[in-house]
Amino acid sequence: MDPNLVCYLTIAEAAAALRRKEFSAVELTEALLKRIEALDGELHCFISLTADVALKHAKQAEEEIRSGTDRGPLHGIPIALKDLYATRGIRTTCHSAVLENWVPDHDATTVTKLRQAGTILLGKLGMHEFAFGGPSVDTPFPAVRNPWNTDHIPGGSSSGSGAALAAGFCYGALGSDTGGSIRTPSSHCGIVGIKPTYGRVSRYGVIPLSWSLDHAGPMARSVEDCAILLQAIAGYDSKDPASAHVAVPNFRSELKAGIKGLRVGVPRDHWFDENRGIDQETEKIFNQAIEVLRELGASVVEIDGKPFSLARKANQTILVCEAYAYHEKTYQETPMRFGSSVRRRMLEGAFLSAADYISAQRARAALNEQICANFARVDVFAMPGAPRPPEAFAKIDPNEQNLRPNFTNPFNLTGLPTISVPCGFTAGSLPTGLQIVAPAFDEPTCFRVAYAYEQATDWHHQRPAL
Amino acid sequence: MVEELIENLRIASKRAGLDLSDDELERLFPGVNRARKQAAELRELIAAGDEPAAHFNVPGAARK
Repeated sequence: MDPNLVCYLTIAEAAAALRRKEFSAVELTEALLKRIEALDGELHCFISLTADVALKHAKQAEEEIRSGTDRGPLHGIPIALKDLYATRGIRTTCHSAVLENWVPDHDATTVTKLRQAGTILLGKLGMHEFAFGGPSVDTPFPAVRNPWNTDHIPGGSSSGSGAALAAGFCYGALGSDTGGSIRTPSSHCGIVGIKPTYGRVSRYGVIPLSWSLDHAGPMARSVEDCAILLQAIAGYDSKDPASAHVAVPNFRSELKAGIKGLRVGVPRDHWFDENRGIDQETEKIFNQAIEVLRELGASVVEIDGKPFSLARKANQTILVCEAYAYHEKTYQETPMRFGSSVRRRMLEGAFLSAADYISAQRARAALNEQICANFARVDVFAMPGAPRPPEAFAKIDPNEQNLRPNFTNPFNLTGLPTISVPCGFTAGSLPTGLQIVAPAFDEPTCFRVAYAYEQATDWHHQRPAL
Repeated sequence: MVEELIENLRIASKRAGLDLSDDELERLFPGVNRARKQAAELRELIAAGDEPAAHFNVPGAARK
């Protein structure tokens, strides 16, 4: 098979081909490592490549599969991790000079689960420093570039995860999401990513940004692949105080059930505030996506956008306070080890009061109630993945970042499961995403709606010219 | 006026155990101002009975 086609298989396709013995786990891993070596010099997706470990685990998987041991659909599948997942014996940097040489003595729970599922770790991926700030220009590692146009950002903070999948460097990746850090790069890189319900996936071993808003979750090139990855990492973990004692359903069981009769709520009436609004081309693409959902049998209802708009303020207040609390000591002792973007944004938390933080948590409870009350009228919410296409690096204005409308962080505040699926391209050939939001712990509905949309369109088959 | 506010920021930064240069304080000023304004606006959304979203859970208690 053409190596370029092999690199762009889905997990489901690669797993089936491994079992048909069309190629081996070692050949699969070697093909990806070769592609990374050839192309990552321009994209900077990887901070650490673990080629030797990957090949060792690939040989092990190959022998297991040959001898009839089957650990499931991820057995022998090469993946990569955002570099804030602790990996035993493998450097974990958070894209920062602060942790530049940190080698953890433990694995994150999600990493343990992925190892048990038989995945092969290719390496650790670039990100925004400590999952915060913007693209990092003054950190020890270069900023990740968007494979669709390297002059543009891939979105963050899971920038390496989004870009590596779009570039065909791995079959699946883990990201983390505190205000949109899985869904924004998914949207900007034309791939699929799901932020599961808060508590669904363990955060143990994931370096925190904001404890009460952080979510761990998978990214991949298809909705089904995200479901496969989430199946492997979901479940209660006593090591994570926020982990939920909730049964884990089969995330693929409803994929093909269709969306006839589904009620879709669109909180359109602000898009959102601060005079920045939504980019017109992005809205046009979103409207076309909504038409596809209608054609598939869904009905669309306008819902009040106000609480979604206000969620940004509560999210940002909580985030900067918790982030500063986590980094305070390091910051006081060695501030210059942080990049300028993180320094500027995180310090906002140093100047807010305890009452500010508690008030934001009280507002969070009130907004959560208002947003979730909509589920009496609709089954899901739909929104664009981002208010505008990925910007050019040269046009980033750090002072303007926090003023933009934000279509992702309402669902960190509420903890609701939200998936982003590719829904089109701008005239400049940059990808956009469609977000589907379901009630708490109803990821199967996210997957069902996103799968129906994905299968009715061709966006997920588009590849960047590299 | 702006100088006075930046001086306030300097005092607050010292209280927070931070040693920030004048340049850094100036760069921080718009963001801190926005964050404080935003935090104040959030208070308007709260009713007297609203408790914070984050609660202490007794160890061993199930959470859903």
